[in-house]
Amino acid sequence: MTLGLWNSVAIVLGFSFFVIFLDEYIVKPRRHKKWERLAASGDKEAQELLKLARSAKVMDE
Amino acid sequence: MALDYEVPQDKRLLYWLGDKLIDYRHPVSVVVLVVTAVFAYWGFQLHLVTSFGDLLPQDHPYVRIHNKYSGTFGGANNINIMLEVKDGTIFTPKTLNKIWDMTVALDKVYGVNHNQIDSIAHRTVRYLKVAAGGTMRAQPVMLQKVTSDEEAGAIRRYVHNAENIYGLLVSLDDKAALIRANFIEGRLDYQRIFTEVNENIVTPFQDDNTVVAVAGEPRLYGWVYHYSGDVFFILVITYCLEWVLRWMYFHDWRGALRPTITGLIAAFWGLGFIHLIGLALDPLMLVMPFLITARAVSHAIQMHDRYYEEFEKSGWHKRRAIVASFAELFVPTLSGITADAFGVLVILLVPVVMLQKLAITASWWILAITISEMLLNPIVYYYLKAPEPELVLLRERGAFRKGIERFVGGLLTPVGKGITVVAWLSATVVAFYFLRGLSIGDPTSASPLLWLDSPYNVSHKEIQDKFGGVEPLIVVAEGYDKDAMKDPGALRNMERFQRHLERDPSIGYSFSLADIIRAVNMVFHELEPKWGVIPDNWVDIGGLFFIYFSGSPPTETAKYVDPSYTTAHVTFFAKDHKGENIRRMIKECKDFIVGTEIDDLGVVVATQDGHTVITGVKPEPIWEKAGPSWVVGSVPSSESPFKAGDRILTVGKQEITDAGSFRIALMEQANRSSFIDFTVDRGGQSVTTTVSAPWKAVFKLAGGLIGTLAAANEELTRNDVLMNVLGFSTMYLIMLFTYRSFAAGLYLLAPLALSNIMVNGYMAANDIGVNIHTLPLVTVGLGFGIDYGLYIVSRTIEEIRVRGDLEESVREALVTSGKAVTFTAVTMVISTVFWTTSHIRFNAEMGLLLAIWMAISYVGSQTLTPVLIVLFKPRFILKEAHRVPTLTSMGAPREAGAS
Repeated sequence: MTLGLWNSVAIVLGFSFFVIFLDEYIVKPRRHKKWERLAASGDKEAQELLKLARSAKVMDE
Repeated sequence: MALDYEVPQDKRLLYWLGDKLIDYRHPVSVVVLVVTAVFAYWGFQLHLVTSFGDLLPQDHPYVRIHNKYSGTFGGANNINIMLEVKDGTIFTPKTLNKIWDMTVALDKVYGVNHNQIDSIAHRTVRYLKVAAGGTMRAQPVMLQKVTSDEEAGAIRRYVHNAENIYGLLVSLDDKAALIRANFIEGRLDYQRIFTEVNENIVTPFQDDNTVVAVAGEPRLYGWVYHYSGDVFFILVITYCLEWVLRWMYFHDWRGALRPTITGLIAAFWGLGFIHLIGLALDPLMLVMPFLITARAVSHAIQMHDRYYEEFEKSGWHKRRAIVASFAELFVPTLSGITADAFGVLVILLVPVVMLQKLAITASWWILAITISEMLLNPIVYYYLKAPEPELVLLRERGAFRKGIERFVGGLLTPVGKGITVVAWLSATVVAFYFLRGLSIGDPTSASPLLWLDSPYNVSHKEIQDKFGGVEPLIVVAEGYDKDAMKDPGALRNMERFQRHLERDPSIGYSFSLADIIRAVNMVFHELEPKWGVIPDNWVDIGGLFFIYFSGSPPTETAKYVDPSYTTAHVTFFAKDHKGENIRRMIKECKDFIVGTEIDDLGVVVATQDGHTVITGVKPEPIWEKAGPSWVVGSVPSSESPFKAGDRILTVGKQEITDAGSFRIALMEQANRSSFIDFTVDRGGQSVTTTVSAPWKAVFKLAGGLIGTLAAANEELTRNDVLMNVLGFSTMYLIMLFTYRSFAAGLYLLAPLALSNIMVNGYMAANDIGVNIHTLPLVTVGLGFGIDYGLYIVSRTIEEIRVRGDLEESVREALVTSGKAVTFTAVTMVISTVFWTTSHIRFNAEMGLLLAIWMAISYVGSQTLTPVLIVLFKPRFILKEAHRVPTLTSMGAPREAGAS
């Protein structure tokens, strides 16, 4: 396939949405679970990280 | 929400601005988006176009001569088509008819100059035929298609007896024929020419025994356009790769998206502006937009990184983090953008329209980053959801951060500092060694725009191998009066000029009116070689010209001599266009022209005690006084305008300081007028004499591809050093105003200067010359190196205000701003390297070169700049120690207290 302007735009847009989907629905939940698992198994760094994250009060206005 | 919290007083305006941008986000967004939409619309109207005239320095004397005569004597846009047979010779009906059909097809290609086609099958290529009764006429070699072997044999005889054909349009082994055509510069459509030549001339005539090779500038640019689609592949790959890298670095898709928005907006503004001012995109300049967009993305990454940092510092307050990151990075970002933009603007100095247009558009494009990066940035962050604290904390504890901390720890030890200084000095010495080989112009005989094994360069080499040389250097012989070209002296000078320059290894062969007159004279005398000379009187020469040209219309003869016989040309066909070879050929031309003029004046000139002195006067020519001037006479006399011992003071109005200035002045004065004024010091007295030039015509440089390249190379040589000096000076001034320190510029520019030397050394070692295409990219690279250092120095100043200790501040700057700089540099280098996959060798090499440039600049900013700061302890940083900024809530300032 020869790439032109419009099929290039379609590919990069499609790829961007794919990454957003991947991040929001697969990678972030998995990462969170991984740190929770580490914290539960006694990992100090993971425990500290989760403690800090849970205590953070985000002001998103 | 107003600024109801305390902010540093010295930056309160920037905090206020950031806050107001969020307050007025709707009108600002609408205005920016509407303007961006308009620019985007214009951007989509852009086409790929290369304007040949824009590539030339139009005010250069060579280009003026080229423009004046390219319509008649031939320009720089020649296509050379070689038909070669593997078995037998071209003198068979089948092959000759192919040449006929190819010539007819070439005559129909868009933009071709119908009177400047050279082929044995074209009406303008003639041989002298002696007819019954002893009359002679110049007749086209092929009047129609060949029907028998006898006709083919007759054509072979005509060709072998014609000096203007054998060896020039038919190879000496009879296996190849050359078809050459010149294109009208105003009607050059490279893509259309490429397609029409392929469809109508190459494909239909190639078979098992016939090879068709095509070369020449229009063909070369045709290939470049053909390959320009590579850019989409490279853009898609780099976009996707950068998205993944940014996503991995920020642990969040917003970190991938935000820099993309900055890059896109800047790109729309830049591309739209190019269309707005009536320009087009050059396929050879596509690396430039890519590079500028990459810079925009790079600034955005810095901002995004700082936003995350401030988000944590501000206690997870999104708006405060946005305003703080905007205010704290405002100065280094603006300085970096300004340095880049004005650094590029110095390209305006080179009087080449294409480069000047590029300087304006690139500067605008870079400045447009301020809109997307600074004006719109706080608004975009405000609209986006705040990042999760977990991922902000996570990336501060990641392997990347730890790696940077380890590296910085090693760098700032005494051993690390020593290794850094020694390594940089050694690398600079090595680069200096290679730098000597850096050439202006093309360093290879093949076209550097495409790969050596590309179809174009293979064809080009095949034609060069068969015909010796195909790249024209046209020197115009311009007479003072009409019929000057019938003067035996003028024709002999042309012949001597040919023999002189043919000794140069880069010249394949040459052609001039003198060749025609000798050939005609020989045919007129029953082909006796002893008559292959230029007759010694005007009458015989005029008669021979009449015989040869009488049957041809002026449109056909104009390619040899103008209808009034005032002007003709000597065309040298060069084997290559290497920068050094062009310089040598032009020098040899000048040496011959001035040497002949001095000889014709009958004087011997030498330099004595720093003065230009006439050391001897020859008996010829015989001078006589005619009114106020000296003219060449016929009655022997001892009178002469020159005396041995005369010290030449001026020629025309030009003062003579040495032999070089005398040669230039004589050539320029002779080009201007047939009367030349000399002022000489004769026995302490100043004597002015006017001499009527003893020659009828002067040689003027230079048209054709070689002439125009010589002009471009001369302009580049003249401006290269000046551009570097001005580029560095501009950046130094911006650093001076940014940090209010004379030393700041030195710390930031020192690594950049060393990077510059190393990159130039790399260019020299890899046969990459400075030419009209590489120069702007090299200059852009120069400006881009400064950004990395700016972020480090600005952060060091910020940190020393709090920490008070220089080394600690540098360490913190390197692990915070330096981390983002490292990530930016790595992504930019990786994505730029993808250009090496391009079929266009120029884009591939420029991509690699810029990747190396950015890598060296990055290493300099992360190693040499901090080490120099720690070693020399600059005052502009130390004076900020413990000067904790006064905090203010925009109404009542108060001291925060020293920490």
